[in-house]
Amino acid sequence: MSISTYIPLLVILSSFLPALIIFRLSEKQHFLRTLLNLSGICITLLLVIWMFIGVYYSQNYEIRFVLIQNLDISLRAGPFALFFTGLSSVLWFITTVYAIGYLEGSAHSSRFFGFFNLCITATIGIALSGNLITFLLFYEILTLSAYPLIIHRGTEESRLAGSIYLLYTLVGGTLLLLGTVWLYTLTGTLEFTPKGFVHTILQEHSSALVIIFILLIAGFGVKAALFPLHGWLPKAMIAPAPVSALLHAVAVVKAGAFGIVRVVYEVYGLETAAFLGLTTPLAVLASITIIYGSLRALFQDNLKRRLAFSTISQVSYIILGIAIVGPVATTGGIIHLVHQGVMKITLFFGAGNFAETLGVHHVSQMNGIAKRMPWTMVSFTIGALGMIGIPPIAGFITKWYLGLGALESGQEWVVLVLAGSSLLNAGYFLPILYRAWFLAPPESWPEEHSFSKGETKSSLLWPPLITAFFALSFGLFAASPWSPLAWAHLITQQEFF
Amino acid sequence: MYEKFVNSLLLLSILWPLTLVVMLTVKKIRPVVLSLAAWAALPALFAALFVSPNILYWDFPWLLLGAKLGLDTTGVLFLLGSALLWSVAGIYTKAYFSEKEKQLSFYTFFLFAMAGNFGLIISQDIFSFYLFFTLMSFASYGLVVFNKDKEAFQAGLVYIILVVIGEVMLFVAFLLLAQTSDTTSFEAVRTGYIDNPNKNLIIFLLFTAFGIKAGILPLHVWLPLAHPAAPTPASAVLSGTMINAGLLGWLRFLPLGDIISVNWATGIILLGLLAQFYGVIIGLTQRNPKTLLAYSSISQMGIMTMLIGFGFYLPEHWDTILAGITFFALHHGLNKGALFLGVGMLGSTNKLQRNTIWLGLFIPALALAALPYSSGMTAKYLVKSYTAYFITPWSSILSILLFIGTVNTALLMIRLLYLVRPASAPFGVSAGFSLLWPWILLLASIISLPFSLESSLEVMQQLNALPYLYPLFLSILISLFIVKTKKFQNLQPVPAGDIVLYYKKALLLFVKIGKKLNAVLLYYKYFTSAIYKLTNIFWYNILLLLK
Repeated sequence: MSISTYIPLLVILSSFLPALIIFRLSEKQHFLRTLLNLSGICITLLLVIWMFIGVYYSQNYEIRFVLIQNLDISLRAGPFALFFTGLSSVLWFITTVYAIGYLEGSAHSSRFFGFFNLCITATIGIALSGNLITFLLFYEILTLSAYPLIIHRGTEESRLAGSIYLLYTLVGGTLLLLGTVWLYTLTGTLEFTPKGFVHTILQEHSSALVIIFILLIAGFGVKAALFPLHGWLPKAMIAPAPVSALLHAVAVVKAGAFGIVRVVYEVYGLETAAFLGLTTPLAVLASITIIYGSLRALFQDNLKRRLAFSTISQVSYIILGIAIVGPVATTGGIIHLVHQGVMKITLFFGAGNFAETLGVHHVSQMNGIAKRMPWTMVSFTIGALGMIGIPPIAGFITKWYLGLGALESGQEWVVLVLAGSSLLNAGYFLPILYRAWFLAPPESWPEEHSFSKGETKSSLLWPPLITAFFALSFGLFAASPWSPLAWAHLITQQEFF
Repeated sequence: MYEKFVNSLLLLSILWPLTLVVMLTVKKIRPVVLSLAAWAALPALFAALFVSPNILYWDFPWLLLGAKLGLDTTGVLFLLGSALLWSVAGIYTKAYFSEKEKQLSFYTFFLFAMAGNFGLIISQDIFSFYLFFTLMSFASYGLVVFNKDKEAFQAGLVYIILVVIGEVMLFVAFLLLAQTSDTTSFEAVRTGYIDNPNKNLIIFLLFTAFGIKAGILPLHVWLPLAHPAAPTPASAVLSGTMINAGLLGWLRFLPLGDIISVNWATGIILLGLLAQFYGVIIGLTQRNPKTLLAYSSISQMGIMTMLIGFGFYLPEHWDTILAGITFFALHHGLNKGALFLGVGMLGSTNKLQRNTIWLGLFIPALALAALPYSSGMTAKYLVKSYTAYFITPWSSILSILLFIGTVNTALLMIRLLYLVRPASAPFGVSAGFSLLWPWILLLASIISLPFSLESSLEVMQQLNALPYLYPLFLSILISLFIVKTKKFQNLQPVPAGDIVLYYKKALLLFVKIGKKLNAVLLYYKYFTSAIYKLTNIFWYNILLLLK
């Protein structure tokens, strides 16, 4: 056993241990808390980079502990696992810096950052899970550790949002557990395998497999905010901005989408899922979610609520991509994990900056806000245009791959969904940009805080600028060998097809 | 060494304006950068003059999904016209706005749009073309609404809606094109047409999407709204180069010269002819010179649309026709730009100044009216020569229609010159030397244009110029007649954007239906929210029990 075996475990511990220590810290120990936060992230990032290089040269990182007979806790770093780990850890780093600027100094900081780190531990655990049971374990940890973050403000409204969140996700978790146990009794294994492992029992248990698939997708669909199961997400936007950023771009919603990808590719296998007639309904459901989310977003005046409905719509691109069946569309779906992440996190950082600096929470209050906060607005604009799918921003690459993939597999109707979604996205993002850049600012902002230098605190300004830069360069240099797209190609070639 | 330097000018023509935008964000160096911004189009101008076409192509496999840039023979003339106009408009801008604040925000959009415009001309593949086309379209919104009054915002709204619709149509068209070709360079894409099952859909999408920019009927509505609303240097580049971008889109992507399609040919030729007459008729009623010029652009673009139709009918003659379209686009762009810049500086009451500018305006106006030995004559000659390729009744019908078209254009120009006559009310800003000299430079290049291009020089030498005076005489006679007739004097102008009213009505109807639907949805929502609340209470109680 070499050191490389332990790296996946070390990655998880590097955020888990700081979390435990932070819980024990008193409110006043700002410095120590920040130090723990940042050093945890730096260690994680270093380890993740190490693994990236290793996996690129076909090194295998795997560690197992026996849970019960035949059932292991397994952590494994393949290309796809690392893709999600990389996304989570980089965005986590930026979000932590942002959260420190946003919340440090307010009450209950230790509790907040403790759970914040726990959330990331769970997300990275999900990413590195080698089988469904490990996945489930971390998935439930994530559910529970996100709850205190959502109700962090402690108001009546946020507690209500929190209980709705718990209601949805716990029911989802139950369905998931049910499906997993059923699957285990049928197959006797839960290991994620390329091209799936259920085809061995395809003949005798095909109807059971269909029901299990529905259970699993419904379970993950709650977090991924698939159409009838999305109700918790717009409510949860009551949480502080860094939490929303984390929920929407990094951890919770993404974990659901990631789970669906795992189920379709490495539990069922694309061919089996298509054979059972499951992919087309999934694609239709994803399309309905895409259009529905955008339609609802059109009518929201609260900025974060509008962004939340936009997330519902955008995350379904990922699901649509894998449900279209085909390597190009799959690449489009997988790449959107990252693209949606960087674009949406930029938008939420922007929304947070407007709220924190000027007290602006609604779209109707945003007239002329670009005059007051030009750089925040520049990054917000990049994020918004990217969501519409305008080149050269990352969202365009996703749309291109999805569209081309859909045409390749003869599903032309998907192109109409993409076109409609682009129009709707333009319909709810362009008015924001119009107000912000072209209308005259009001005489006074609702609740303005002044900063001696710059438009807002630098710890709040830099994160959106960096993520906007990512969104721009991931699109502009998509074909370069160091882009996320290149890695997504590697994933589709090595693991899925 | 010289080669390398000259070729790098081509890249610089995009990068330099973009660099300037970035530099504008730094407060300390802003005054210097603002002066530089006025000259931002120079690299492109030098590139158009000194880079020899069809030699060098750059591949950027890492850019977007693989991009290719380079200059071909079509691109050279488009780049020349655009660069000339952007240069003049850039210098003009500096004097047009006195406040630094306004200069800053205008130049930001101006430079972005400029980079987009040059970029799309030197693009040689789908992705870079789409990128630069989008950049130009969105940046131009900032130019259209620059005055920030009600008129500007309304124009901007119509403009941006059409832009977004066009973008989405292009996206779908490009997807369908990319599906059947291995790479996304122009040649590969056009060979992919032959066995593409969605050929007609693609042609429809491309023709409409680029037609929005080129101002085809019935998508022309943004032109007469946006041009008067925008500041003068913006209307000059919008009218002189942006509509040419739509035309270039057609030339790059439509399967012209590769396939023959009588249906498309007939449809497009009819649409072009219709636009040619429609633009003049509506334009003649206008009293705002900028609106009139916008309608003139619609009419002139009608001719170019018609030529595209020729291409679908006569693929074997496409190379000849292409040369004519390119020349026409250059000729129209420069003249229209000069007219816009000219009518924008009639703000002074000084008689001498007004007279001078008025006389100056005669140059581009008469060129558009195809005065002998102007660029208009060559353009008209080329267009007319293509009608000979058609079979007998059609060739004479087309050439008669073209003759009437020329008379119409001349009428429209006379109307314009009448509207801005020295005794009329001041319009636009007062002309200073710094506004005048770039304009005079542009006029000089307009005069020399027919003599500086080889193809046009040939035409000049062998052509009998006298017949080109007939339409002009005829139109002068008609205008004298109109002036004498009382009936025409009280003619009310057709509102700018003419049929945009009907679009608004259709939209309102749509909203009305939506509201009715919404009422139904509200009932539904009321019903479901009751159920939702009940279940919520149920679960909440269970949670309480568990505690």
